Amino acid sequence: MGKTMIMKIMERASGKEVKVGDRVWCNIDWSTARDFGGANCALQFDEITNNEGRVWDPDRIAFTFDLQAPSHSEKVSNNQKIIREFARRQGITHVFDINHGIGQHVLLEHGLVKPGDVILGTDSHMNLLGGVAAFATGVGNTDIAASWLNGTNWFRVPETMKIEVRGEFQRGVSMRDFLTMLVGDLGAGGMDFLAVEFTGESIERASLSERITLCSMVTEMSGKIGLILPNGPVLEWLANRAGPEVYARVSAIAPDGDAPYIDVRRYDVSALEPMASCPDAPDNVRPVREIAGTSVDQVHIGSCTNGRYEDISAAFEVLKLSGFKISPNVRTIITPATREVMLQAAREGMIEKFLEAGVVFTNPTCALCTAEHYGALPSGDIGCSTTNRNFIGKVGKGSHTYLMSPMSAMATAVRGVITDPRDILCQGGN
Amino acid sequence: MKIRGRVWKYGDDVNTDVIFAGKYTYTIKDRAEMAKYALEDLDPEFTRSAHAGDIIVAGKNWGCGSSREQAAICLKERGIGAIIARSFARIHYRNCLNEGLPIIISSEIQDLVKAGDEVEVDFDRGEIIVGDRTIKFPPYPEFVQGLVNDGGLIPHVKKALGLV
Repeated sequence: MGKTMIMKIMERASGKEVKVGDRVWCNIDWSTARDFGGANCALQFDEITNNEGRVWDPDRIAFTFDLQAPSHSEKVSNNQKIIREFARRQGITHVFDINHGIGQHVLLEHGLVKPGDVILGTDSHMNLLGGVAAFATGVGNTDIAASWLNGTNWFRVPETMKIEVRGEFQRGVSMRDFLTMLVGDLGAGGMDFLAVEFTGESIERASLSERITLCSMVTEMSGKIGLILPNGPVLEWLANRAGPEVYARVSAIAPDGDAPYIDVRRYDVSALEPMASCPDAPDNVRPVREIAGTSVDQVHIGSCTNGRYEDISAAFEVLKLSGFKISPNVRTIITPATREVMLQAAREGMIEKFLEAGVVFTNPTCALCTAEHYGALPSGDIGCSTTNRNFIGKVGKGSHTYLMSPMSAMATAVRGVITDPRDILCQGGN
Repeated sequence: MKIRGRVWKYGDDVNTDVIFAGKYTYTIKDRAEMAKYALEDLDPEFTRSAHAGDIIVAGKNWGCGSSREQAAICLKERGIGAIIARSFARIHYRNCLNEGLPIIISSEIQDLVKAGDEVEVDFDRGEIIVGDRTIKFPPYPEFVQGLVNDGGLIPHVKKALGLV
């Protein structure tokens, strides 16, 4: 019997042969923490080592400041300071402070992530790095602090589900819509404890940004990791950033032809339409056209799921076809994932156009992923967002959020009510 | 070890945002303080009146969503004796283990109890006692039990490193 991708990754990391169901100690390539949770990791590490401990390898630890960047209160500032001081004391130099953006994206852009790496972080969407075939997972602060002692942690070798995707998206439809459909199809627990390999012609053609979107939402089905083997332009991009070693890594972790899958699902996206997650759960899914006309108070485009340049660019196209006008009745916020993404949007002249249209274009952060940074919704407000969760109360008690693609979100910002982006894209304008 | 407690009953896919709201994660550092906000966005009655020793009975995928360990800490500090669910979301499963909060996988009890019922859990025998019914539950996997026996992940790693 052959081996799946996650089995090969765990064999590399554990240095031994594995089978599904084994629990193995894996060497950790990166153990990271962000401002949200990072201070607790640092405090816990100091506590368990009586303030005398040294981390196992300061060059394998990274801190990213992304959730509340810049800090909005003294309490948060003090929290962030704990991280900076810990890093200085421990000789940790990979500190990506408030001017960088969302952690996983920043690590990837800096060439720090290779296929087959095992990466921990205090962010349940770490697993978007599965988009380049790294096994990255969110954990709590104890798992992080323990890994700082000796650079290892334990994992169960998971069963693998295979999802094959074929077909081309119609105009106005994107990878996010496929994901939303998938979350609705499989449900919030549909991938619990599983690894997932995404394959098929639509995946092989997918951009890095689309792969990130796909793998980030595995969390919303409680999956352990979604993995896509880098190929084509994505592999070239990765080699340019992370070095030529990535080619050998990709060969080493490619799944065997006779690898065991507990489930194989096939989807064709050619007839897919824009989809939305309705309040108050990601798996409460309906086509956008069925909820069209619903009034919204705020639109947000960004997040680790849909905050890359291609996402902003897709929203820009909708805005352009609408004569660069948004509804004055909706507060519209765009947040790029990273500084690199923001610079690209600036160089393309997009930011100026967004600002002229009345969009709030912010610095790169996780933005509306908690109610504690900007953009929190007051009770009774309806939000529309490209983030990945719309749990009740998540961005403000008594508010409710629809999740959708950047194109659908921008179409909604333009009209002031939930709008199928094909109404704008396929009819030549607003 | 045996515990006896009152049941708080919930459905499927309860997420960590409603167990411990994101807005508190930055500012509340004190563990005992975290307990005051447990389940605030799911069940204000729990937040007001859950007692030490009470038991949570839930459906599938308990603890999905955010990786915040506070979702386990707030229940541990509240004195919750055990969480019994049809299944757990994996990150929260690890966090509960790491906090020493007993978790039990069972799909039988949900149909036998309602909120407020008293149940007993005998961890040594792997049994939940509901009235005159006894339900068996599986022990932790051997590997996990090894971590638990060492006092948790951190003591286990320290032991392996010769630090204790």
